[in-house]
Amino acid sequence: MSNYARPQDIHGWTAREIPRLEDPQRNLTRMLEARGLTKFYGSLKALDSLDLVIEPGQVFCLLGANGAGKTTTINLFLDFIEASSGEARVHGLQVAEHPLETKKHLAYIPERVMLYPNLTGLENLEYFTALAGHEEYSQDRLRGFLTEAGLAEEAIDRRISAYSKGMRQKVGIAIAVAKKAKALLLDEPTSGLDPSASTEFSELLKRLSGEGVAVLMATHDLFRAKETGTHVGIMNRGRLVAHLTTEEIGHADLERLYLEHMRG
Amino acid sequence: MVMRIARKELLEMTRDGRFRVAGGVVLLLLLTALGLGWSRHADVTAAHETAVAQEREIWEAQGEKSPHSASHYGVYAFKPTGRLAFFDTGTEAYTGVTVWLESHKQNQFLYRPARDGNTLQRFGELTAATVLQLLMPLLIILLAFAAFAGERESGTLRQVLSLGVRRRDLAVGKALGVASALALLLVPAVLLGAAALTAATADSESGGLMRTLLLAGAYLLYLGAFVGVTLAVSARAPSARFALVGLLGFWVFVCLAAPRAATDLAKAYYPTPSAQEFAAALAEDKEAGIDGVDYEDFLEARKQELLAEYGVDEVEALPINYGGWRFEVSEAYGNQFFDVHYSRLWDQFEAQDRLRQKIGFAAPLLAVRSLSMSLAGSDFAHFRWFAEQAEQYRRRLVAFLNNDMRDNAGAAAFSYRQDRRLWSQAPVFDYDAPDALWAVSGQLEAVAALVLWPVLSAFLAWGAAARLKAC
Repeated sequence: MSNYARPQDIHGWTAREIPRLEDPQRNLTRMLEARGLTKFYGSLKALDSLDLVIEPGQVFCLLGANGAGKTTTINLFLDFIEASSGEARVHGLQVAEHPLETKKHLAYIPERVMLYPNLTGLENLEYFTALAGHEEYSQDRLRGFLTEAGLAEEAIDRRISAYSKGMRQKVGIAIAVAKKAKALLLDEPTSGLDPSASTEFSELLKRLSGEGVAVLMATHDLFRAKETGTHVGIMNRGRLVAHLTTEEIGHADLERLYLEHMRG
Repeated sequence: MVMRIARKELLEMTRDGRFRVAGGVVLLLLLTALGLGWSRHADVTAAHETAVAQEREIWEAQGEKSPHSASHYGVYAFKPTGRLAFFDTGTEAYTGVTVWLESHKQNQFLYRPARDGNTLQRFGELTAATVLQLLMPLLIILLAFAAFAGERESGTLRQVLSLGVRRRDLAVGKALGVASALALLLVPAVLLGAAALTAATADSESGGLMRTLLLAGAYLLYLGAFVGVTLAVSARAPSARFALVGLLGFWVFVCLAAPRAATDLAKAYYPTPSAQEFAAALAEDKEAGIDGVDYEDFLEARKQELLAEYGVDEVEALPINYGGWRFEVSEAYGNQFFDVHYSRLWDQFEAQDRLRQKIGFAAPLLAVRSLSMSLAGSDFAHFRWFAEQAEQYRRRLVAFLNNDMRDNAGAAAFSYRQDRRLWSQAPVFDYDAPDALWAVSGQLEAVAALVLWPVLSAFLAWGAAARLKAC
């Protein structure tokens, strides 16, 4: 590991300065924060001292091959797995200590949104939003969330078992939006979506980040990352090996950088 | 939150074809069993009532004869089937419900359908109790094995937990969901059963309502234990398939292997003689007498007491009929052996029952089965209660007849005749059924096991849910 060149050494790009943890004024603006976050599976280091801060309105795209540690990072923020060392914080609260409270601020969309096949799209949305603590929505409002997420009107009352993957993702998006989360954790949410659905999703992300939502998105899609992300991080074997803003970089540069790190 | 989860679980189950089929089959079996039980109960009750009425008439119309001949003529005593026996026939198929009462012997019971049973019956009679004891747990396993393991596999658990749902809310909600699905099946069956109970005219078993309520409680505890175990296993199992296999294994152990093993163990620890061995041992003892005092010695001693009492030297000088008096002495002699032998045999059966109850701590089926039979009034304890009353009645009846001869026959022997006037004064067998509390008092181990299981399984499920892994 130690003989890997640091990205800033190769290209002269400066990694974004990570705000100091001790700075109390900045706590409220750190919607998602990882500090020395490390996860071992046996002797395998799945995540190696990740330091990361995502502020409201930022869309942080995590790039990397399978097994680079992207999903591990998301699982740690969700408290689905226990950190070996370091900590994950949501809205200033440590995830491991406040597992329920931190989740109130989070919405999670996995690569494949899994829903209850015997319930309709609307019933699924109603159930998930109710579990998230939002019992206040009327049926019309719930339908509105689904159509806003791009689901066709006639699909709303059909059972999920008849849904395509894209339609499920849209229900997942509607759940996330209805939850009014301050932070989104997305695990390759657009993989396998057709281009138009993918574009719609990007639009939605832009809208949400405009509303001040912090987004952490694991993705393989360099193009999408460049388009929608405000920040990009490249992970390799559990390490965040590059961390930069999309303004600093063109698409071609991102691809070159990515490939170099993968070879590294 | 919990109610919302329960409602969704129920909605999913009612929409799932597999569960609809399985639930439908169980409901059908339950209703069939109730119907069968009810018609059987109605038949037996009607036959019983007719027989009781006819039996008395036959007794009174037996014509002129000596009272001792009448005591050989004998009567049948019938155990009234409790109203709840239609729900759980218990051991009645093996113990029988009729006994032939005559002088000189305490007879074994008659009307044992198991003796004439066909092969099909060996698989066990279909009663509502067996449906609740064996099939309901299977249905619970099918309804709930995937509760956590399946959601974890499909990925919905990750999404639910990412919402900030308390794991224990999830567990309680799921338990309530399964409970309401079961209620969908049980409520119509219970209503039907209750209607059938109300329609029953002969309330021969006392404390009917109390017994019914206790029965309902026993089954709720039993089924609750299965819900808890199923949820606990589902929460801990690495996969839904693993959960299903493990739970089916548990079911096989509790519902098939343990009862079988319990029966074998009970027989091994508390062996009982065959009917022939029992009769032979009784006859041998009677022949040998107690401490070398056989019937002749016994009679001689009594005779000396009698002569002394009346201050005479020989039986011919007695103011009573010696023959009638001697019959009663022969009864008293025989009864000592009946008391010893039947008590020993029945104590042994009771010890077997008690051992089976104790095994209920390992396999709750045995606990609920024991308590259920007892509350339905069809277990061995109720049989014994009846048999002992019947025996007391036999002794009263025989004494009534022999004493009539002793007091009124004078010097006449079998030429002494009596008629309908005396027969109609003979005591009537009036069965006094035990109450619910009495039934429960013999079932303390079963009750303890039935309380322990759901509490323990809820505790396990609670703990497993708290440690529920999202992935």
